[in-house]
Amino acid sequence: MPEARTPKKPRRARGTKSAVHLLLRVNGEDREVTTAPHRTLLETLREDLGLTGTKHGCELGECGTCTVLVDGQPILSCLALSADYEGREITTVEGMADGAQLHPLQETFADLGAAQCGYCTPGFLLTAKALLEEKPSPSREEIREALAGNLCRCTGYLKIYEAVEQAAARMREEGPRGGR
Amino acid sequence: MAGADKTLRVIGKPVRRVDGRAKVTGLTKFADDLFLPRMLFARLLRSTEAHARIVSVDVSGASKHPGVRAVLTGKDLPVPFGILPVSEDEHALSLDKVRFVGDPVAAVAATTEDAAAEACDLIRVEYEPLRLIADPEDALAHSEPKIHDYADQGNLHKVVALEFGDVEEGFREADLVREDLVFFEGNTHLPMEQHAALATQDADGRVTLWSSTQTPHYVHRALAKVLGLPASRIRVIATPNGGGFGGKSDPFNHEIVAAKLAMLTGRPVKLTLTREEVFYCHRGRHPTLMAVKTGVKRDGSITAMDFRTLLDGGGYGSYGVASTYYTGALQTVTYRVPRYRFRGARAFTNKPPCGPKRGHGTPQPRHALEVQLDKIAESLGLDPAEMRLRTLHPPNSLTANYLRVGSMGLRSCLEKVVEGSGWRSKFRKLPEGRGVGLACSSYICGAGLPIYWNNLPQSGVQLLLDRGGGVTAFCGSTEIGQGSDSVLAFMVAEGLGIPPADVRIVTADTDLTPVDLGSYSSRVTLMTGNAAIQAAERAREILATHAGAKLGVPPTRLGFAEGRVFDVEDPAKGMTFAEAVVCAESKVGTVGTVGSYSPPPSPGRYKGAGVGPSAAYSYTACVAEVAVDRGTGIVRVERIWIAHDIGRAVNPILALGQVEGSVYMGVGEALMEEMAYRGNRFGVHKIPSMLEYKSPTTLEMPDVVTYLVEDPDPNGPYGAKEVGQGPLLPVPPAIANAVYDAVRVRVDEVPITPEKVLRALKLRAAGKEARVGPTRFPDVPWPEAIRVPPPWEGGDGRAVAGEARAAERGAGGRRQGGLATGVSK
Amino acid sequence: MRAFEYLSPKTLEAASAAVRTAPEGARIIAGGQDLLGELKERIATPGRVVSLKAVPGLRGIREESGSLRIGALATVQEVAESPLVREKAPALAEAATSVGTPQIRALGTVGGNLCQRPRCWYYRLADFPCLKKGGGTCFAVEGDSRYHAILGGGPCHIVHPSDLAVALVALDASVEVVGAKGRRTIPIADLYALPAVDASRETTLAPDEIVAEVSVPAGARSAFRKFREKLSLDFAVVAAAVALGPKGPRVALGGVAPVPWRSREAEAALGAKPVTAESAAAAATAALAPAKPLKNNRYKVPLACAVLRRTILAAAGVADPGPPAPPATPAPTKKAGEDF
Repeated sequence: MPEARTPKKPRRARGTKSAVHLLLRVNGEDREVTTAPHRTLLETLREDLGLTGTKHGCELGECGTCTVLVDGQPILSCLALSADYEGREITTVEGMADGAQLHPLQETFADLGAAQCGYCTPGFLLTAKALLEEKPSPSREEIREALAGNLCRCTGYLKIYEAVEQAAARMREEGPRGGR
Repeated sequence: MAGADKTLRVIGKPVRRVDGRAKVTGLTKFADDLFLPRMLFARLLRSTEAHARIVSVDVSGASKHPGVRAVLTGKDLPVPFGILPVSEDEHALSLDKVRFVGDPVAAVAATTEDAAAEACDLIRVEYEPLRLIADPEDALAHSEPKIHDYADQGNLHKVVALEFGDVEEGFREADLVREDLVFFEGNTHLPMEQHAALATQDADGRVTLWSSTQTPHYVHRALAKVLGLPASRIRVIATPNGGGFGGKSDPFNHEIVAAKLAMLTGRPVKLTLTREEVFYCHRGRHPTLMAVKTGVKRDGSITAMDFRTLLDGGGYGSYGVASTYYTGALQTVTYRVPRYRFRGARAFTNKPPCGPKRGHGTPQPRHALEVQLDKIAESLGLDPAEMRLRTLHPPNSLTANYLRVGSMGLRSCLEKVVEGSGWRSKFRKLPEGRGVGLACSSYICGAGLPIYWNNLPQSGVQLLLDRGGGVTAFCGSTEIGQGSDSVLAFMVAEGLGIPPADVRIVTADTDLTPVDLGSYSSRVTLMTGNAAIQAAERAREILATHAGAKLGVPPTRLGFAEGRVFDVEDPAKGMTFAEAVVCAESKVGTVGTVGSYSPPPSPGRYKGAGVGPSAAYSYTACVAEVAVDRGTGIVRVERIWIAHDIGRAVNPILALGQVEGSVYMGVGEALMEEMAYRGNRFGVHKIPSMLEYKSPTTLEMPDVVTYLVEDPDPNGPYGAKEVGQGPLLPVPPAIANAVYDAVRVRVDEVPITPEKVLRALKLRAAGKEARVGPTRFPDVPWPEAIRVPPPWEGGDGRAVAGEARAAERGAGGRRQGGLATGVSK
Repeated sequence: MRAFEYLSPKTLEAASAAVRTAPEGARIIAGGQDLLGELKERIATPGRVVSLKAVPGLRGIREESGSLRIGALATVQEVAESPLVREKAPALAEAATSVGTPQIRALGTVGGNLCQRPRCWYYRLADFPCLKKGGGTCFAVEGDSRYHAILGGGPCHIVHPSDLAVALVALDASVEVVGAKGRRTIPIADLYALPAVDASRETTLAPDEIVAEVSVPAGARSAFRKFREKLSLDFAVVAAAVALGPKGPRVALGGVAPVPWRSREAEAALGAKPVTAESAAAAATAALAPAKPLKNNRYKVPLACAVLRRTILAAAGVADPGPPAPPATPAPTKKAGEDF
């Protein structure tokens, strides 16, 4: 039996059925959005709120690029409906620095070559931030496990591990500071 | 050792990359991060057929769909384009024929992305299916229907044959002649960023395109050609690429479509590809079947090599002619190969086009060669490292195919990895299931010739010196993550004795920056670097003249360092860099300089000599240690030792990152990455998702021990050579050789999947030849080889009579060596 | 994604009703980790999406009269990290740990994991009108079947993607579901049916039935092992779960069949005797004896055999002697000079 391809099922334009009005808490600020119910958190952040620091690599949950924190936990914003995240604390890369003061992870990622093209970097930074908040002294193995949902095609990850380790050391020395 | 050079203050130091802060704060603007007022969103309708004639395209439904502002089909953009002048075989939207599933047929611009996608679904395309050409064997067997009508033979896009010395004679002199068949599966770049382009027609009618491209200059040319506009009315800005690896080096249909839609609607138009579409853009590694026959003496020295390659090119030319030559070009630069024959053929097939991926055309033959050398060493009872050390190509000499090797640090590289890995205590000594393997390689530092024939500089840098002490460096080079902006800043800072923070970089903008050909062929550090050095030297001269006059010191005695210009014999006597600029500006007016670079001409004068020459060659040696699970067949790479002859590391952090990233990609190619097509017999469809395209995660990445070997090359800026691509090359063969060391099976095919390892282990258990891999190389109608006597047989780089005349018919002079030979427009 | 209406009812009964009354079809969203992919690829085009986020009482893991009770909205991560699950049903904790990625485990729920749709690459592309999507063909038969079923396949040859289901079948779990007819409890194995029954779906649930809770008998010695090409961001090529409980051994395989595959052959081969290296190997061989691979997935037979053998040994706490020794050094390759 030959492999046949048929034209895609035509999409009917349905407009935005019952647009939803959402109150989102992003990087410590309340943001109101009126959007279609099928918008993902990724789309809302980038397109409705102008927070383009969050990137997309596949939009199917297969690369980790769009990772943001919800209540401190890394999740894939491409697989989240915005409507499901009302009232939750959402953190994007734009929320990592404290004013002009970079988060220690941002400093070490920049200094140690953990960001090459920089496209996967926001996702890695947020995943690493969540890790260090839970485990201030992670082992190399724990770092690998924690970052296993984020793909990077540039670095081979090794510089990222080093940056996480060095940031962890700095944060232990200096105590919690910066960021949210 | 160059690393200890105390006079350098920026070069060689672990300075933070200039774009570091932007990248960790999310402020870097990638193409899809750009939003303009009134912007429209475009989507492409792609072919569902692999090979078909387009009977009709009905866009009436789409045009009426709410929100739609413009619809395009092939006839709106009828002018062909393509990266190589010899294969301008693409249309922005298929004109009369589709050549692979995913070939774009129509485009829609609408007020929302959803509306554009919905409208695409309303376009009715009637196809008349044609027999599909599934793979090179199919292409050899079926010259009809032709995928393109300009191929060398039927569906063979390109067939080439070159012979340097009498190879058969070389085989007769050998103590051992071995022939191996190896298959290297195709794979793709998989940059994390999907390609995106944003076009707008400015108030004055000019067109501006922002695009995630590695080659804005070539996109600029393609846009001018297809849009029918003077290049002066088009501006191309390459946004920072979220990874490229070669996949964003062609001018693409979606870039042209975005520009055309912007012109039609008078509004900004953005077209961002989905991940699935990125797989259709492809231009990745050519699947390559190879037959390598090598004659050796008992000591392992090579007497002759015959190399045949058969490349699966996909549906379009892309860089394919160059790729074909590259599968034969660099075998000669690592070990001494006194006689060499190369025959290569590239087939058109109905799949997404292959092109340049990291290592462009050379990882496949390198893999075959290094695996074969491992087998030869075993046959000869020699240690593979020892055997290679005995046969190294000498530095500062020509190869059989007239490539000029300059600095050659492979000996040091080999010694480092052998020592560091404990090779001697591990090779053939580890317990069953564990093994080590070794391989070497080399890569170019920039292609010797541009893509289209010209005798212009390949990189230009312009400096503007501000009276406040800041320097702006303008250059067409493109930041794709490799650090080219940083290299430019570091070179200028070093040259002018100022901190990198005082250098502002403006790059990759055809309105503002001098041409640089782009981020491909590992050319940027060497070429942009040399251009930057020249521009900086010229600026120093101006400053020294006028600062010297004021200080009463001869200009030649002035030093530039730490933001000061001073008397080297009395460093206290001097002025700040800013004062020196003021000094010069008050005398000569605005201070600015330019620098440019062209690589040295190559001695090869035969047709095909345009591929392979480079100003310098980097060298790499690698040892891999693996564990093979005999129950499941899975191979885990535990550690890689890799030494890279980089000439000089411009920045050790960036250099290590390039090595580690190359290792990463090499591990992926060796073990899991493949552009697989489902059911080739009936219809072509690849696996267009990141789930099914297996790419190593943190849990697959081995530890890497890197050694940077610094032996400055006279042609490199501050001695630097490339590091972005070369270190990938030895990784797959080192892993394949390690698998053999671990479980004594040969998988002469990458990726080395558990399925193949299990199959080979079963053969071994049954006492059969424990090998999985290709068993035949199909008959290819090779043309008679162009014969070029090697340098040591009195050759002068030209083909012998007959062939020489044939070559001259096409074009004259140096042009013979160019890619564009005889066909350039 | 096709536009849809979004509802967030406060009870399971209301959610079920919201599904039932949707004029253009509805889908339940819990963690969304599978559903969003289906919506984006337009495999699913419901007119309504019903979120469970406001339904209370569906989270949590507790022990009650010898069983672990796990709410359908407990996340995979919560199961993986639960000390209770780790102690009383280790195979389930191991299976949970192996799911997806940290991000997917953070949002993915137990109920969603059990009800996720297959990853068959023909099913997942809207362009292939496969049996499961109501078409007439299983494209895996003639196409690339490397990841497809070797047991229980036909006419559709998907493999069930859930890891948790494999562990739960071995652990003899049951599932409580809520629908129009109220609540019912079914053995986990009965949650699934082969494509021979209905190729369009994997579960036996009515469209408006929603998983509410999973109940797992506590205390059996158990283990779960999974083979995948990548240790993260990948699905099982083969998985196995084994529980050695008071009622005898229970063996389940994943990645090999359209349902989590219980192997009574392996259970019979193990019998009531203590597990040995030999009996584990024999049971694994017995489990795969009925295998009928397609043209590209023959390798999954020895692979599943190896994984199952190891899982049995791990559950029993018996050391793995490793695969049989290979023949001594292979035939020597040619000596210098031989070829010329």
